[in-house]
Amino acid sequence: MTADLLTRYNYDEFVPAKFEPWMRFDQSPPLATRAPDFSLWTLDGAETSLSAVWSANSYTIVEFGSFT
Amino acid sequence: MNAIAERYADAGVGSLFVYTNEAHPGENYPHHTSMEQKLRHAAALRDVLGVSRPILVDSLDGACHRAYGSMPNMTWIFNQAGTPIYKSDWSDSHSVENAVQYYLQVLDRRRNRERMAPFHVERLDYRVQDQEQFYAGLERSGPKAVTEFRDAFG
Repeated sequence: MTADLLTRYNYDEFVPAKFEPWMRFDQSPPLATRAPDFSLWTLDGAETSLSAVWSANSYTIVEFGSFT
Repeated sequence: MNAIAERYADAGVGSLFVYTNEAHPGENYPHHTSMEQKLRHAAALRDVLGVSRPILVDSLDGACHRAYGSMPNMTWIFNQAGTPIYKSDWSDSHSVENAVQYYLQVLDRRRNRERMAPFHVERLDYRVQDQEQFYAGLERSGPKAVTEFRDAFG
């Protein structure tokens, strides 16, 4: 985790030069192939993973987002 | 999306919200500089916005979010093996529910021993554009978020 990446990903203002580089849906994983797994954290800070959730359900809906 | 989670939970459909970077950082919810702050913001999603689904928080560098295309409000559906079967670059509850209903029918058809093979389909769906609600969200983040959005898109 580099300081530069942290700063660029957590951009401090909504201006095209800062948010447009992150709009990369065209480079996202394809359907029908095993998806990459990642650690995620519950609100109390406990570590879990995306795979822990999807393996517990027939299907899992995952919405990504923030306040806005 | 909360209502869909409740409606299909008994059918074996799990739902979660992954908290990412702040798309429109403002005075009240500024950009993240620590994991502690990110966890606090995520808790406010539940307490302020009323997100009733389980909320999981991505790492501070957005490793998961970035790997999946880092769109500000996208939705994916995975099967139990971890294979993505639906992905949309924006979230729309009608589109998601339509897909869930279809995939639940697939489960039923398989239980009835219908032989099926997957195939790819592309479709252009339509989402609701609720400007009033969107601007309310920006205002919740703070005046800076409103100004920057207007400057970017007029």
